Amino acid sequence: MIRYLAYRAALAIPLFLGAALLIFLAGHYAPGDPVQTLLGDHYNPQTAARMRHELGLDRPLAIQFVAYVRNAVTFDFGTSYVNPSWRVGEIVRQTLPVSLGLAALAVALAALAGVALGVAAAVSSGRTADRLIQIGVLSGLSVPSFVVAAVLVLVFALHWRLLPVAGWGRPEDYVLPVVVLAGAPIAYITRITRSSVAQVLTEDYVRTARSKGLRVPAVLLRHVLRNAALPVVTTVGIAFGNAIVGAFVVEVVFNIPGIARIAVNAILQRDYTVIQTVMLVYTALFTAINLAVDISYVYLNPRVRY
Amino acid sequence: MRSAAGRSRGWGTLVRREWPAALGGVFLAGLILLAAAAPLVTGSTYDRQDLDHLFQGPLAGHWLGTDQFGRDVATRIIYGGRVTLAVGFSAVLAESLVGVAWGTVAGFYGGGLDNILMRIVDLLIAFPSMLLAILVTGIFGPSLVNIVLALALTAWPGTARIIRSEVVALREREFIEGARALGASAVRILIRHLVPNVMHLVVVRATLDVSALILIEATLSFIGIGVQPPRPSWGLMISESFQYLHSHPHLVIVPAAVLSLTVVSFNLVGGSLTAAFDPRKRSA
Repeated sequence: MIRYLAYRAALAIPLFLGAALLIFLAGHYAPGDPVQTLLGDHYNPQTAARMRHELGLDRPLAIQFVAYVRNAVTFDFGTSYVNPSWRVGEIVRQTLPVSLGLAALAVALAALAGVALGVAAAVSSGRTADRLIQIGVLSGLSVPSFVVAAVLVLVFALHWRLLPVAGWGRPEDYVLPVVVLAGAPIAYITRITRSSVAQVLTEDYVRTARSKGLRVPAVLLRHVLRNAALPVVTTVGIAFGNAIVGAFVVEVVFNIPGIARIAVNAILQRDYTVIQTVMLVYTALFTAINLAVDISYVYLNPRVRY
Repeated sequence: MRSAAGRSRGWGTLVRREWPAALGGVFLAGLILLAAAAPLVTGSTYDRQDLDHLFQGPLAGHWLGTDQFGRDVATRIIYGGRVTLAVGFSAVLAESLVGVAWGTVAGFYGGGLDNILMRIVDLLIAFPSMLLAILVTGIFGPSLVNIVLALALTAWPGTARIIRSEVVALREREFIEGARALGASAVRILIRHLVPNVMHLVVVRATLDVSALILIEATLSFIGIGVQPPRPSWGLMISESFQYLHSHPHLVIVPAAVLSLTVVSFNLVGGSLTAAFDPRKRSA
């Protein structure tokens, strides 16, 4: 198992470098010339050539990429093209924790609600409660998050005035963003939990536990949930990834100073150093999440041994 | 098989049992007809502004009212559907072609080639579709072609994986062995024997993918890196009217409802097709 973990962790490094290379090349071949953007109205061939040299943009691509990776390792991503006084590494340091915190809260909510709803649906299989939960799952997977956000803002912020429309810093500012981010993850954690629990419920040891007189809640907690947990844990990892991506909508709608809003603004302003860096950060995050999911899978399932 | 039994007992039985999917199908058919005939059924153009009639509620002439620029909402919904469906269908067509080709080649040849092709698929599947799409349109710009390419890029690995596993199973069947014994070339076996036998999976997968890709397009348009104004898309309409949510909620609710119903309908039809083609899923 240690060997598998080492192999899996070592595999993440070339994958990440490959993704970094793709992001670097995409930035390099993207339409638009950064030197022209930086100089603006002061553009002329001499200053452009000097600037290109200062930025190292006249060196061979391979050398530029090595320098890029070497700087990235020390968290130095250069400065923003659009606002040259911004250190991109500093922006990431300030905004990433905001997005990660939101995602963590959303995943916690989604895991609790999803498992509860999934168990409820599996236990009441075929009856009204199950049907209602299934309809909820279908809408949760089909209704886009910004529509959910619009409806919640309309009802809770504008109509009943219970919660702020947007803003950041106070505890009540977290409620709507977390609920919106948790929406889709609740739906598929419910779906996975339902099918996983429904399958375990047909096992002989569950019937045995019931027939020796154990009450239903005890059977669920002691026998069913433990055995049904594996696919659910994997889904929670996916949910974390989705919550991080969902921030692209939520941070824009609720005006939250997270990394996704920085990314959207950078894209709209074609600020390539920021776009590249944010994409690199996301790649690192997802490499780490996938690694964590794989490792938890090995750790939790005694039948998976490498 | 179940689907055949359903058909032999007539459409009535089928519709009664699969009524949610039937309802979804009717909604989609209506939507596609309206979108295709947009210039004929709308009395206006999607960008004509009537500055004397801003924010009008439903009334004669504008049966869904007008938006903040005095543009007819019904017209923009129909033209938005045209854009959304055209983008969604083109992307699904492109990703199905790539996915089927990739999956059949990997599954048929196996070995080292299969290994390389499927590791590329694994790599792409590991990243959320939304992030890949944002990466492509964010860096290369949000033209309609780039949006279609971005959507296709996010969806084809899933198709390739499904097709490959089916082809691996088909490869060992007698009719393939028979074709080989008759001296058919590899290309002929791929195109004449393998691809037709996975088409049912492609159709199911494509239906579900349309709904996923429409959602991604709407989200891209909503955050401003998808369809660009003045061309309408449902996601963009919601985004443009979001600031009038309090005073004129119908400007957000109408496109939101149409978008959600469309995605639900594709999911219902796709789910029903999945069940019809897979007898194992019926018992679950």
